[in-house]
Amino acid sequence: MSALPTGPRAPELSKTPADTAPSRSAGPRRRRTGWTGRVRPAVLTAQLGLAVLLVAGWEVGSRTGVVDPFFFSSPTAVAGRIGQWLGSGEIAGHLLTTLLEAALALVIGGVLGLGIGFLLARARTLAAVLDPYIKVLNALPRVVLAPIFLLWFGLGIWSKVAFGVTLVFFIVFFNTYQGVREVDRVLVDNARMLGAKESQLIRHVLLPSAMSWIFSSLHTSVGFAIVGAVVGEYLGASEGMGYLIAQAEGTFDTTGVFAGMVVLSVVVVAIDLLVNRVERRLLRWQPARERTHG
Amino acid sequence: MADGDDSAAVELRGVTMTYHGAEGDYTAVREVDLTVAPGRFVSVVGPTGCGKSTVLNAVAGLREPSAGQVLIGGEPLRGLNRRAGYMFQQDALLPWKTVVQNVAFGLELSGVEAERLARAHEWVVRVGLAGFENAYPHQLSGGMRKRTAVAQTWIGDPDILLMDEPFGALDVQTRQIMENELLTLWTDSGKTVLFVTHDLEEAVSLSDEVVLLSAGPGSGVVGRYPVDLPRPRDLLDIRTTPRFTELYGAIWADLRNEVMRTYERASHGTAGAGAVQDAG
Ligand SMILES: Nc1ncnc2c1ncn2[C@@H]1O[C@H](COP(=O)(O)OP(=O)(O)OP(=O)(O)O)[C@@H](O)[C@H]1O
Ligand SMILES: [Mg+2]
Repeated sequence: MSALPTGPRAPELSKTPADTAPSRSAGPRRRRTGWTGRVRPAVLTAQLGLAVLLVAGWEVGSRTGVVDPFFFSSPTAVAGRIGQWLGSGEIAGHLLTTLLEAALALVIGGVLGLGIGFLLARARTLAAVLDPYIKVLNALPRVVLAPIFLLWFGLGIWSKVAFGVTLVFFIVFFNTYQGVREVDRVLVDNARMLGAKESQLIRHVLLPSAMSWIFSSLHTSVGFAIVGAVVGEYLGASEGMGYLIAQAEGTFDTTGVFAGMVVLSVVVVAIDLLVNRVERRLLRWQPARERTHG
Repeated sequence: MADGDDSAAVELRGVTMTYHGAEGDYTAVREVDLTVAPGRFVSVVGPTGCGKSTVLNAVAGLREPSAGQVLIGGEPLRGLNRRAGYMFQQDALLPWKTVVQNVAFGLELSGVEAERLARAHEWVVRVGLAGFENAYPHQLSGGMRKRTAVAQTWIGDPDILLMDEPFGALDVQTRQIMENELLTLWTDSGKTVLFVTHDLEEAVSLSDEVVLLSAGPGSGVVGRYPVDLPRPRDLLDIRTTPRFTELYGAIWADLRNEVMRTYERASHGTAGAGAVQDAG
């Protein structure tokens, strides 16, 4: 849990659009990832083989004492613990808490980022004035805020939500800002020639342009929302996956730590697949090769 | 000028357009005078970068002249030109709207609810895109995108049409078909067309008049050539008629000078006014 998230790279708020490289209105080009989708059978076999090998190696290692089960547990022990959690149903409460915190952070951070990003992209002077403040806030390692949020919002979910919001906000904010500022000039001119008023320009041109940038960072936003919730819980909570892991760690229960990590990973991958589907629906107007493949 | 004392649909009086850039000011066009009578089809030709798009932007009201005046129907233009439709040189379709949504966009903006999609659909068929209503721009060929843009601009029924190299990027066959279709649309529509192209053949075969801009910077109108070819014209045949060849040759001689000048400036930096080639 030591890799603490830092914010996205901040673009120069004080720059004029002419300073930044022109980009097509279709939004940012997205990196093609090869995790799922049309994976070749040979690759799939190799991937499965590698998984089996790692798990088997781990199991054999801890049974033969090559690795110390106290520090590394073992796959069967981890699986047993997960089975126990599922059987008793105690995991559901923790998982739901974490997901609720992440969802709230995503929505609140997203709305704030969108609103403020839009405002600053349209109000140049305001953006120039606020530029250094935003840079400083974004550069701040977020984890130092966690104790403050615990004091302000208590041990309940809201301190975790607040923490997640500080992570999600900047991603959505910068993408909105960029999306609005780098909208293709000719699209704006064309809409104006066709009779668009300011509010219509926002609705039909600027917002969709920003949306394509925001959706392209949806994976990152969702990831950060979950990271925010888990790290927040880890530092002080009475419920949630982070709390579960912290508790196990406190009693040197490595099996519990690993089991918590596995459950979290599975959930995150499942959510990522869901995000892929949502993204594909929302961005179906974009050429497929520019899209992340789901 | 068939319309006698009727006020011109478009009139430019001493229009100068200066861009203020980081490396200093650049005057693209200087003191351009141009009159287009209502219902006329006028083409603007000139070497690349001479300021053709700049002139159209002034007529559209997207960019105010640094000096001079634009008059639309005799009235000085303030702000955007509400009577004009503008087909941009670049692709200007909204990538997140389908063909039919893009075509209906202007109607949507002006709050037309009733029959909006029906009217858009009608135009989609008219420009030969039936069956592609729900395609997104990235799924269309270049020619299909231009057809969509034509429908998008024409559906609002503007009096004045500004078309900036609409078919410049198309292959020869598609271009001829689209030129023919454009003439069919325009004939009897009463619309005034200001058509920018760098293709002189296209300019002569479509227009009532060809206006030649000089090489930049600070280009101005160096020639106006009435085209007295009879209408209706068959674009496939017209290019072989003697009168066409004659007109083409006359304008080309002048255009060539300007093109050579642009070329020389580009290859020798901004050398003086010198070296004008002999008019072949
Ligand atoms: N926004 C701008 N800022 C500075 N200079 C500009 C700008 N737009 C155009 N220019 C300059 O003004 C000149 C005329 O440009 P314009 O686009 O009107 O040319 P054009 O005749 O339409 O060329 P083409 O046939 O290649 O489309 C060019 O030299 C160009 O570099
Ligand atoms: Mg141009």
